[in-house]
Formats: sequence, C-alpha cells, structure tokens
Amino acid sequence: MAATIDIKSLSKTFGTGPQAVHAFGPVDLTIEAGSFVSLLGPSGCGKSTLMLMVAGLLEASEGAIYFDGERVGAPRTDIGIMFQDNTLVPWRSVEGNIALQLELRGLDPKPYAGRIRDLLRSVKLDGFAARHPYELSGGMQQRAAFCQALVHEPETLLFDEPLGKLDAMTRESIRTDLQALWMTRRPTVVFVTHSIEEAVQLSSVVCVVTPRPGRIERTIEIDLPWPRDMEVKASPAFTRYVHDIQGIFRDYGVL
Amino acid sequence: MVSSNAPRDPVPAGAGRLIRAVEWLVLRIAAAWPFLLFFVGFFLFWEYAVILFGVPGYILPTPSEIVTRGWADIPRLLDYTLVTGTESVLGYLLAVAVGLPIGLAIAFSPMLRRTVYPFFVSLEMVPKIAFAPLFIAWLGFGLLPKVIIVVLVCFFPVALNSIHAFGSLSDELTRFCRSTGAGPLRTFWKVRLPAALPQCFVGFKYAALNATVGATIAEFMGSDQGLGFYISIATGNMRPDLAFAGIFFLTLLGLALFGCVTLAERLLIPWHISQRRH
Ligand SMILES: Nc1ncnc2c1ncn2[C@@H]1O[C@H](COP(=O)(O)OP(=O)(O)OP(=O)(O)O)[C@@H](O)[C@H]1O
Ligand SMILES: [Mg+2]
Repeated sequence: MAATIDIKSLSKTFGTGPQAVHAFGPVDLTIEAGSFVSLLGPSGCGKSTLMLMVAGLLEASEGAIYFDGERVGAPRTDIGIMFQDNTLVPWRSVEGNIALQLELRGLDPKPYAGRIRDLLRSVKLDGFAARHPYELSGGMQQRAAFCQALVHEPETLLFDEPLGKLDAMTRESIRTDLQALWMTRRPTVVFVTHSIEEAVQLSSVVCVVTPRPGRIERTIEIDLPWPRDMEVKASPAFTRYVHDIQGIFRDYGVL
Repeated sequence: MVSSNAPRDPVPAGAGRLIRAVEWLVLRIAAAWPFLLFFVGFFLFWEYAVILFGVPGYILPTPSEIVTRGWADIPRLLDYTLVTGTESVLGYLLAVAVGLPIGLAIAFSPMLRRTVYPFFVSLEMVPKIAFAPLFIAWLGFGLLPKVIIVVLVCFFPVALNSIHAFGSLSDELTRFCRSTGAGPLRTFWKVRLPAALPQCFVGFKYAALNATVGATIAEFMGSDQGLGFYISIATGNMRPDLAFAGIFFLTLLGLALFGCVTLAERLLIPWHISQRRH
C-alpha cells in the first residue's frame, strides 16, 4: 500500500546566528496515498530541502513528517529517490547499477534479474544492460537511474528535478514513461520541477511554492483526464491551468 | 571505444588473435612514428653535434660511446640497478602500506582531520629530501636509511591523495547509500572504496615517480653501492659516459616502477581508464 505523507508545520533553517538561512516553511501539507504531487517553485525556494526532509535524509528545524502516522526520524528505506544528478556509479554497468540498489539493501540481485530486464525494456534500454554509464547519453543515464530508483518496488517515489538537465524531447518521452508507471502501480509520487507544463501534465495536485523561505500557499487539483497525452495538452482546460499558475508566479514577482 | 548497440566481437581464437595482436602493434607503431622519428633525430643530433664541435669526451660523450662503454661495465650496472631497485620498491611499498590506512583513518575521523591533517599539509611544504643527510648520519650507509628516505618522499603523495579520495564522495551518492539503509561497512566496500580508487592511484603514480629520485639522492649522500653511488663516482672520475649509462638504467628502473603501478591501475579500475579516454 502506498503511504499518505503528512507534513506538520515543517520548517528548516540552515546555520545559526546572523548567518542563519531560513530556507523553508512553515508548511502544512497532506499528500494522499497514491497521488502524484508536484512541487513547483522558483530556484532556491527550498524544494530540495523539503524532499530531503521527507526522505529522512535531513533533520527538520521545526515540525515533523509522518508516513501513515509514523514519524520520520531516520532515512526511510521504503522509498525510491531520484536526484537531480543521477546516482549511477561509473564502475558498474547499467544492470550492475540497478543491482547496487538491491545489494546495498543486503538483497541478492539474482532473483530480480527478470524485473531488471522488464524495467530496462519499459524505458527502452534493453540492449544496454551491460553498458557502462559513460557509454550512454544524458537521457539514457537518467532512464537507467529511473530503473535504479524503482527496482526495490518502493511505494513512495521522490523525484528532485530528475529531468532538469535533459533536452525537451527526452523529457517528453521520460514523462510518458513516468506517467504510465504511476497509472499502473499508483505509488505516492512527490515530484519537484521548475516547469509549469510538466507539473500540470503529470500531477493530480500541484503545490505552488513561494520564493524563499518556501511556503505552500496554493495547492491546485488538476482535473484533467488520464493519460495526459498530446490531445490533453492541446486542450483549452490544460492551457487554462498553465496560464493560472503563471499568474500566481507573476504575482510573486518571479515571472 | 566505439559505442554502438551491436554486441562486441567475441574473442577470436588462435591464429585470429595473433593477427589481431600484430595488427594492434603495427597500428601503435604507425601512430607513434612522429615521436620515434623525433627520438632518433634527437640522438643523431647529439652524436654529430658532439663530433662536429669537437666536445671532449670528459665533458659530454656521444650516445654511441655511452652505449659501448656502458656495455663493457654491464655486470656492475645490473648489480647496482638491483640495489637501487630494492631500495625504491621496498620504500615505495612501505609508503603505500602505511600511507593508505593513515589516509583512510584521517578521511573518516573528524578528530584526526582537525589535528593530523593540517600537520601533514604543512609538512607537505617541507622538501623531504632535505632530511636525507640526517638519516644517513643517524643510520649509516646501509639499506635502512635509503628505504626510510624513499618512504619519506612517497608517503605524502599517497596519504594526501587517499585523504582526498576517501573524503570526497558526492552528496548525492552519500544520500543514496543512506536511503538504502546500508551500514558503513557495506557502503565502504560497494561504493566508497571503488569511488576512491582513481584518486588514490593519482597518489600512487606520483609516489612511484618520487621513489627512484629518493633512492638516488640518498645514495649520493652516502653509500658504497647503487646507481646513485655509481653516477657520483663516475662523475668524480671524469667519466660522464658511465654516469650517463647509470642515468639510463635509473630511467629504466623508474619506468618499470611506474609501468607496474599503471598496470595495477588498469587491472583494478579498468572502467576508469576507458572513461578517461572520452
Ligand atoms: N547545506 C546548506 N547550508 C546552507 N544553506 C543551504 C543548504 N542547503 C540549502 N541551503 C539554502 O536553502 C535554500 C533552499 O535550497 P534548496 O536546495 O532546497 O532550493 P531548491 O528549491 O531545491 O532550488 P533549486 O530549484 O535551484 O534546486 C537556498 O537558499 C540555499 O541557499
Ligand atoms: Mg533543488
């Protein structure tokens, strides 16, 4: 079962005294189990900071986070994370990198061979299993990292701008993969992005984050049919959402 | 290496493999010909410039004189190469055996990082070779002072590069490891160690270059055998031809040591080499 994530008056300040940086919050937010929630906000507003706190990789200054009522105190091992820079290691093949996720968990990767193959096929990397990361393009590396984040079948997925460095066409194709995955397995997804269109296309809920210190003043439910293909993206309703969110950022003085 | 989706050729058997090896060799020589030409040209120039300008042999011998006179003294040269080689290799291995664990300890201990590390960094400024006469004075003419001096000049590159190597795993990989719940030992074997090896080898290779230098200078200071001793005696006897022959064997020794370390790098971290080629 995917988890419901409750964020309760959470805030983060880096450093102390006159050098302290109030990076984020306070924020209250509930992320429903099985929803796809985007965090959309300007650079430096604390999106990555929030993501790390949700994963239990960074301590909150105030407030707390609960997974199905259980307070996050240590790194959570039941989630899949994809960072802005991928976590592929150069000394392992694509397959070996995916297996690394399992080996670090003390699992034997052998029984997962079939699953790894299926994952690679789903992102069109079959045939590249034995290649090393340096033999892949940036987009292919990111797709391999996608498989690495999913191989242990996490019910919660955290994505910190995983598509940030990719070209428009590759982004589009990975979005489609991501959406297909979410629709079939319905994990809880938290997705950080700078792109308004991307957020509207993928999300059930878009959270608009204010400039630093980031706060979530607006959460917008995106009521569009699935899958959100080219037809949906061309619809007036889609354009309306994008336009409205642009308006919010204009009011913040970001756009 | 060409990246394509096609599977790599299977290793050809027998005659096929030999043909490939010969092909490879011919290609390498073909690729290196400008260098070889320059090399040959350099020695020809040396030979005929010495003859043309009538430089006396006790100042600068010709390459052909160096070869013939050196050849006449080959047993002693080989003997001394073994002596200097032993000093260099022993000192080098000792420096790695001590420097790597110390580097590791400093990288992982915040306390050592604040005490021993800055001490090492300031020692890095001291020209270690300046200690050579002291060690000779304290320990005499034997093998031990030479080995210690080699250790001294090899230790810092090894230790400082190891500290750097083990202390610089990216935030993202560190977080990735933590998010899997892996303990420190498993994280070390699966991620930290392999990630650190390329930087460690930067230190190993640098130290390999230092090793023969340390041994030679130690022999200059005080010894009764070895290539450093040979060179200083030959120079004192106005026999630069023999000094050059000694230098030639020292060069071979340095190349061999460096070659071994490079080979080890190739075997241990082949992925790094192929990545570097891009
Ligand atoms: N370790 C740290 N020490 C001090 N300040 C930090 C640290 N990490 C982040 N910050 C500050 O916190 C703020 C939020 O950073 P964060 O990385 O969460 O932003 P972001 O929304 O992810 O930005 P971007 O979209 O550019 O990735 C920034 O102003 C940054 O300067
Ligand atoms: Mg960020």
